[in-house]
Amino acid sequence: MRALAIARNTVSRFVRDRSNLFFVLVFPLALVLLLGLQFGGAQDLVLAFVAPDDDAARELVTDIGSREGIEVVQYQTRQDAVQGVSDNDADAALVLFPRHTDALQAGEATAEFITRPGGAGETLRPIVSEAVGRQAVVSTAAGAAAEVTGQPAERFVGAFPASADLPSAIDVLQVSVGGDGLGDDLGGLGRFELGASTQLVLFVFITSLTAAAGLIQERNLGLVTRMLSTPTRTREVIVGTALGRLGIALLQGVYIMVGAQVLFGVGWGHPVGALAILVVFSAVSAGAGMLLGTLARNDAQANGIGVGLGLGLAALGGSMVPLEVFPDTMRRVASITPHAWANRAFADLVRRDLGPSAIAPELAVLAAMAIALLAAAVWRLRQVTAAGS
Amino acid sequence: MRALLTITGKDLRQRLRDRSAYLYGLVVPLGLALLFGLIVPGFEDEELSLTVGVADLDGGQLADQFRSSLGSVGAIEEVTELPDAAAAERAVDEGELDAAYVLPEGFSAVGPRARPARLDVVVRVDDALPRHVAISIAEGFAQRRNTVAVALAMVASVSDGLEPDAVDRTSQIVARRPPAITLEQGTAGDDELDITTYLAAGMAVFFLFFTVQFGVLSLLEERENGTLDRLRVAPIRGRAILGAKVLTSVALGLVSMTVLVLATTVLLDARWGDPAGVAVLVVSGVLAASAIVAVVGALARTAEQASTWQAIIAIVLGMLGGSFFPLSDAPGWLEPLRKLSPHHWFLDGLGQLANGGGPTEALPATGALLAFAGAAGVLAAFLLPRARAA
Repeated sequence: MRALAIARNTVSRFVRDRSNLFFVLVFPLALVLLLGLQFGGAQDLVLAFVAPDDDAARELVTDIGSREGIEVVQYQTRQDAVQGVSDNDADAALVLFPRHTDALQAGEATAEFITRPGGAGETLRPIVSEAVGRQAVVSTAAGAAAEVTGQPAERFVGAFPASADLPSAIDVLQVSVGGDGLGDDLGGLGRFELGASTQLVLFVFITSLTAAAGLIQERNLGLVTRMLSTPTRTREVIVGTALGRLGIALLQGVYIMVGAQVLFGVGWGHPVGALAILVVFSAVSAGAGMLLGTLARNDAQANGIGVGLGLGLAALGGSMVPLEVFPDTMRRVASITPHAWANRAFADLVRRDLGPSAIAPELAVLAAMAIALLAAAVWRLRQVTAAGS
Repeated sequence: MRALLTITGKDLRQRLRDRSAYLYGLVVPLGLALLFGLIVPGFEDEELSLTVGVADLDGGQLADQFRSSLGSVGAIEEVTELPDAAAAERAVDEGELDAAYVLPEGFSAVGPRARPARLDVVVRVDDALPRHVAISIAEGFAQRRNTVAVALAMVASVSDGLEPDAVDRTSQIVARRPPAITLEQGTAGDDELDITTYLAAGMAVFFLFFTVQFGVLSLLEERENGTLDRLRVAPIRGRAILGAKVLTSVALGLVSMTVLVLATTVLLDARWGDPAGVAVLVVSGVLAASAIVAVVGALARTAEQASTWQAIIAIVLGMLGGSFFPLSDAPGWLEPLRKLSPHHWFLDGLGQLANGGGPTEALPATGALLAFAGAAGVLAAFLLPRARAA
């Protein structure tokens, strides 16, 4: 059981290092919090509008504003509205021109819909054009009815308001397919769920890598040699070291899981599945950390490589920008990272509410990666201890 | 003065030989920026061209009219015939088509009717733009006929039933009238960085706070290993030593940022904005970063402690300032905290320049950064000599 003693020593040294307090405890949850504040939560789209104070204009704006998920904000001039869109205070702007009602009756009304290229305002376009279209329909129909019956058009406009259920000849209905992606899943998600699982993956890995510095210290301080000089077999030293690394990774992971659940109400899906992912991914991280610890020559190098590699793999594996947003080729490339597999597995559990059997493939791949990394690390550690460093 | 330059030169040479300066100042930020550039699709204003399908289960006149109207829509590149609704859904789901229209049997049945005809638009949930355009096209087609339906209802509301030729007459009148409202398209410039440049700039300014550490850290390291005492014994003004350390930080920061701006522009097509404006922002940013890092270093007792605290400050300010991801949609109470971060002002200044404005657009942000530099600088000037003497 000397292996356990070694492992316990490794973990307690990690825990006692106060500089870890921020990076391991505060930073991950702070990031989950900010991610949730920025990306989570349903956001109302904001439509800036400039409209004269006449009936038809007001009616149009009220019609649009009554839709769920849209907030209409009045601006004084077109220039102000355009600036508002530029500054991202509004997602889009609708500018109606003076005497809108009169122009409408004469069939000459114009309106301007202003968006930012690539901005969210495009989503408002169909809604705005539909509302505008409806008002146009009523106006044109009233004009035509007036011609046919000889009655004044205003009478018809009053009797058939644009926002009411108008008779139609053709009903356009949307039939949705697909829904493999983000938009569909996120509907049922809590605000912080997406951030929590991706950051869990990022931090467990990066903490394992930066903790590799501890292993280097052991080498440099001659701890390893001293351990070997005691009646401890090399195998026990190696197993102990690996278990220690695993302990650190698990500690970080469990902390984030519990913390996110307690502080932000994050659900992790099926408990057995979630723990399985955590354990296997921690093993991968432990292997990577141990390998780095046996390869790097000093603390600074290990830290630099650890941070760089940790961030890089996290980005590539979908822990910063979600995998669903990746172009197809990049999504395939992402599969070389353990992060991608862990993120996908969590997505299945948390977003799609699946059970552990659904994530068996991901777990298998992660287990294979863990075995490969640990084997490489063990081999390296043997080399290093044999050389007496 | 000569002493200051000599020490600075020595420190710079030392740092350049030490690979960690390259790592944080160049490799990692550039690597991440490049990675993001590959991952995040560019939201370019592409000419939208849709491939659509039509499942015409009706074959009547109205259905024909719809199909031929599709031919005159600019955004539609190709129209495919489909056998039925199931085939349409499959084709759209699998990405073969951007959208499909299903015209059910009875679509073209003429006459004032009890129920409107259905026109199904099959779209993918995840692709917002094709979805919107496909639906708008259908609605545009429906609008004219719906206008007739509304007009007929209006006529019927004041007469006792419709005359036999009412439908035709009304249709002709409606066809004669122009659309009552024309919706024009306007564009607002973007006072925000495009996503690639944002991520590149965010990474650059984040790692800047690590790059500029090296100057002040060397002060502490020399204090610990005794060379600082030796320097003080030499006929060199104390201020020269401190000045050299700060100058090293500034120099490293400037070089790193310049290389990153150029590299991301060339490799990633990042658009930083007006060069003069960017230069002023970069210089102010480097000064602010160096000053803040100097204060932290002056307060620390050991080089290791300084390094840890500098990392913490860099991360907190970076997070709040939107270096990792924008916080533009976060709740309002976060605003004042964001404004406390120099990263926020750096990115904000770049955003102002993004709209093609001249260097003056970035003045408020530059001012804020210089304020940070000034305040922290004054504090550092006060604290560093004490650190040197310790």
